[in-house]
Amino acid sequence: MTARVARAPNLGEELEAIVGHGHATDRPAHLAEVGIRAAASEPATWLVRPGSGAEIAEIVRLANRRHIPVSPVGAAARPPAALGAAEAGILVDLRRMSHVLHLDETSLVVHVQAGLSAHALEHILAPRGLSLGDFPPAILASTVGGMLSVRTPGKSSPRHGFIEEAVLGISAVLGDGRSIHTRVAPRRATGPDLARALCGSEGTLGFITSAVLRIHRRPEARFLSAHHLPDFEAALSAVHLAMREDAAPAALRVYDERQARAGLGDGAVRPGGAVLLAATAGPTDLAACDRDLIASSASALGGTPIAESFAETWWRQRTGREDSPSAALPSLQVSARPSRQAAVHRALRAAAAEAGIEVCVYASRFDPYGAVLFVTLIDPSTGEALGAQAEDAARGAIERAAEQAGAALLGAVPPALTPYFEDMRRRLDPAGIMNPRALASGSE
Amino acid sequence: MTRPAIDSDRLARALRPIVGDDRISAKETDLTTYSRDMWPRLLISIREGTPLPHRAHLVVWPETVGEVAEIVRVARSQGVPIIPYGGGSGVCGGTVPVKGGIALDLKRMSAVAKIDRDDLICDVQAGANGEHFERELATRGYTFGHFPSSIYVSTVGGWVATRAAGQMSSKYGKVEDRIAGVTMVTGRGDIIDTDGLARSHRGPSWTQLLVGSEGTLGVITSARLRVSPAPELRVLRGYSFPDLIGGIEALRRIMQRGLRPAVLRLYDEFDTLMNALSGGGDRAPADIRHHHAPSPPAGAGALPRVPTQSADVEERSGLLGQIVGQLVPKDRRRGLTQSLRRELVAATLSRPRLFNNVAGPVASRGLRRGCRMIVGLEGSRVRTETEARLTFGELERAGGVDLGEEPGRRWLEHRYSVSYKMSPAFRAGAFVDTMEVASTWERLVDLYRSVRAAIAKHALVMAHLSHAYPEGCSIYFTFAGYADNQKHAEKLYDELWRSGMEAATRAGGTISHHHGVGLLKSLHMREEHRESMAILEALKASMDPDDIMNPGKLGLSAGGLS
Ligand SMILES: Cc1cc2nc3c(=O)[nH]c(=O)nc-3n(C[C@H](O)[C@H](O)[C@H](O)COP(=O)(O)OP(=O)(O)OC[C@H]3O[C@@H](n4cnc5c(N)ncnc54)[C@H](O)[C@@H]3O)c2cc1C
Repeated sequence: MTARVARAPNLGEELEAIVGHGHATDRPAHLAEVGIRAAASEPATWLVRPGSGAEIAEIVRLANRRHIPVSPVGAAARPPAALGAAEAGILVDLRRMSHVLHLDETSLVVHVQAGLSAHALEHILAPRGLSLGDFPPAILASTVGGMLSVRTPGKSSPRHGFIEEAVLGISAVLGDGRSIHTRVAPRRATGPDLARALCGSEGTLGFITSAVLRIHRRPEARFLSAHHLPDFEAALSAVHLAMREDAAPAALRVYDERQARAGLGDGAVRPGGAVLLAATAGPTDLAACDRDLIASSASALGGTPIAESFAETWWRQRTGREDSPSAALPSLQVSARPSRQAAVHRALRAAAAEAGIEVCVYASRFDPYGAVLFVTLIDPSTGEALGAQAEDAARGAIERAAEQAGAALLGAVPPALTPYFEDMRRRLDPAGIMNPRALASGSE
Repeated sequence: MTRPAIDSDRLARALRPIVGDDRISAKETDLTTYSRDMWPRLLISIREGTPLPHRAHLVVWPETVGEVAEIVRVARSQGVPIIPYGGGSGVCGGTVPVKGGIALDLKRMSAVAKIDRDDLICDVQAGANGEHFERELATRGYTFGHFPSSIYVSTVGGWVATRAAGQMSSKYGKVEDRIAGVTMVTGRGDIIDTDGLARSHRGPSWTQLLVGSEGTLGVITSARLRVSPAPELRVLRGYSFPDLIGGIEALRRIMQRGLRPAVLRLYDEFDTLMNALSGGGDRAPADIRHHHAPSPPAGAGALPRVPTQSADVEERSGLLGQIVGQLVPKDRRRGLTQSLRRELVAATLSRPRLFNNVAGPVASRGLRRGCRMIVGLEGSRVRTETEARLTFGELERAGGVDLGEEPGRRWLEHRYSVSYKMSPAFRAGAFVDTMEVASTWERLVDLYRSVRAAIAKHALVMAHLSHAYPEGCSIYFTFAGYADNQKHAEKLYDELWRSGMEAATRAGGTISHHHGVGLLKSLHMREEHRESMAILEALKASMDPDDIMNPGKLGLSAGGLS
């Protein structure tokens, strides 16, 4: 699916005619701001900042006429997936489209433009006692459009489900420049959920311009608690037991010994032990009930409560109010459903031991379907994280071991469904201009 | 696209090597049985003895996913439609073979796989009967939490294909909220599994793109469903509200506070009145108001015994039965002749506006009955007790009056007491149907008023609200209409549905909350989805390029109303 790029001397003028003066640029300095390396101005890369869905539709129609790729650039949360080095085409930066279009406090529903960052949305909602929900703060750094168009595990909360499940309606521009607006309903039985075709499609089937999202009242109460467990697997089992008992916590985390020392200090953990951290939220009595369910599950697995201050430390780090001492990015992440988590954890450790290294592990992003294990590879001689090169060398074997034990590596595109997806793409985007490099089979 | 005529013999010859002689039929009775569902418009023809408008060429019973794939490939090579068939309990004509073809009955594929304790996911084959599935789960200590009134006659595949909703959806969610993945044989004949472990895959959620496809994209052969441990405790209550708006406000507050009662049913004035008149009185003596109902018996799950088909149940069932009951003193009811019955019904239903007014708000004001609500909570003991206390507090703050446990228990006992014989309404020459719409809370009262007004012009109508969410709710209208002959009845029926659907769309609601589209709403799909139909069309073209999967449905190609 490649689009032939013609030299387009007056592309800039045409783009400016659509988005207005000053909102289309090909200056390397401007491109660098969105993470694009544009060493030479050849081939032409244009960055545009449209102000409305109608402008995006015009840009896409123009791109169709000229056979030029159009790709979204997100907030600086992560480098744009499609482009590292500059490639000819139009990059669409949605930052100007950052308005709340409608706030329906009766239904707890908000209609926002795709360029608003989720953080900014939280700031708008907070004074009204509202919030998107208990999602991991890390995912709120991206724009609403970015958050919805890339689907990864971990964009979820045990209490509020997956972020894409908060979508009640979507407006988007399809590859031929048509605008669509899925109609809002709490649930419906009128065929497949069409909004969900756009969530996760990374700008290939359509360009999300706004979304109608379910929001929540800020919880009446929030309780934090921390438990020490005999080992990592016992802590995971305590989580599963609590979930079976109907507990719906706001957030959970399980640290192994090394991670607990790094994150919470030496006092939190005994040798070989693990720490379970929990936040529960909701109406006061229910939040307390969930906290107690977690406590009794932990105790059933040999756990004991430890000072609440450990949980407070974790919560401050999680919400960005305190630097996390282990701020280094984990070396690898795998997801596993509950029944495989212990086996995956054992396999990781065994593979690391075989390679002569150690690991530091924590589990987070729990939801009804599983959790993500974050693994940092450690050099036993220094006790520090492996250097980048050594890490790259060791990662493969450990990932394979985890996969064999039932884990899933993040970010794969399911190959069996690729022909169907490619076919839909061709139909909705016959010119092949919509973020053409995204979501190819097996892509990371 | 024009298709060559279907050659049943040639088709049967190609299918026999796959399924053998026994699992293929061209018998008259089979073809008739499998060319319909429970769509009330078809029941009008059936009552009048007119032939069904469309017929399948063959009925086939596959036993494995491999067989399904082979059948699809044969059908594709011969250009023959396939209509997946579950329980045939659909109420929208979803299984009507508008272009003939193979009725593919999945009921021989009904295995329920082992459940891993920690995962709480059950892999079940599409043909599993709803009741059997739920009982099987109960013996293992689980529940799927999905209890449609049709649970005895519908299948898991049908639920997934239509995005069905059960009576306890406020806690457990609709089917689409409880599904981790499906296995489908696509219209191209491939076998695909959606969604990886713990949803690690990138790209759109294929599960959500296939759930609700009503047989138009492929045959669902199994589904990975989320189950819950069987409840330890169930608490039930009746409440009364001065009017519908007060009750709606209470539902909203409960859901938005993060409480999730399993059952929340609010009846409008007319429905409340009907219920009271038919013997389901409101007031329970104070001494039977236990604090908490006893736990559901272990192993029995949430299902009552198979409902009895006693004359009394049948007599009471359905709106019309109730009206007839009210029109004639009880001791004389049995002796009422068919023709007198017809006349009474005709007299009532030919004046829908008058009766809607008398039996609705006017009666409610006169009799001061208000609106009844049934509330039920279930789950693990500790959490349910806490949640029940908070829920009842919220209901009282919203102006609800506690009627005790009895109305809740009575509802629980009778919730499957639907008759599977032709209802007295149909026998008396009328038709009865239901329309389930939904919207956000902000638009809900508008939606109620405008859809009710649209139906009330043509039929007697009442409503209840039984599927609530933090952001909105569904409204379930039941209506009964009458015309003097089949042609007029069908015309009235079509006209009623058209104005109801238009009213729902205009008020900002969806045209279906859980019954699906089938043939009935196919023509309204464009208004429902507008330009977004482009996505559905692309999905269809990619999954089923030759349009062999249940053609004429979901607004994808011209339907075949007779
Ligand atoms: C008395 C009564 C009460 C009802 N109560 C409820 C209720 O409470 N909640 C509710 O949601 N609905 C209810 N319904 C409607 C109906 O039961 C549901 O729509 C149910 O989900 C249909 O299941 P089924 O197995 O009977 O499907 P069918 O009627 O056989 O089929 C329905 C549609 O799904 C397709 N389909 C079926 N199986 C498959 C498959 N394996 N793969 C692909 N497509 C398939 C068919 O082609 C058809 O388009 C009720 C109906 C009746 C008659």
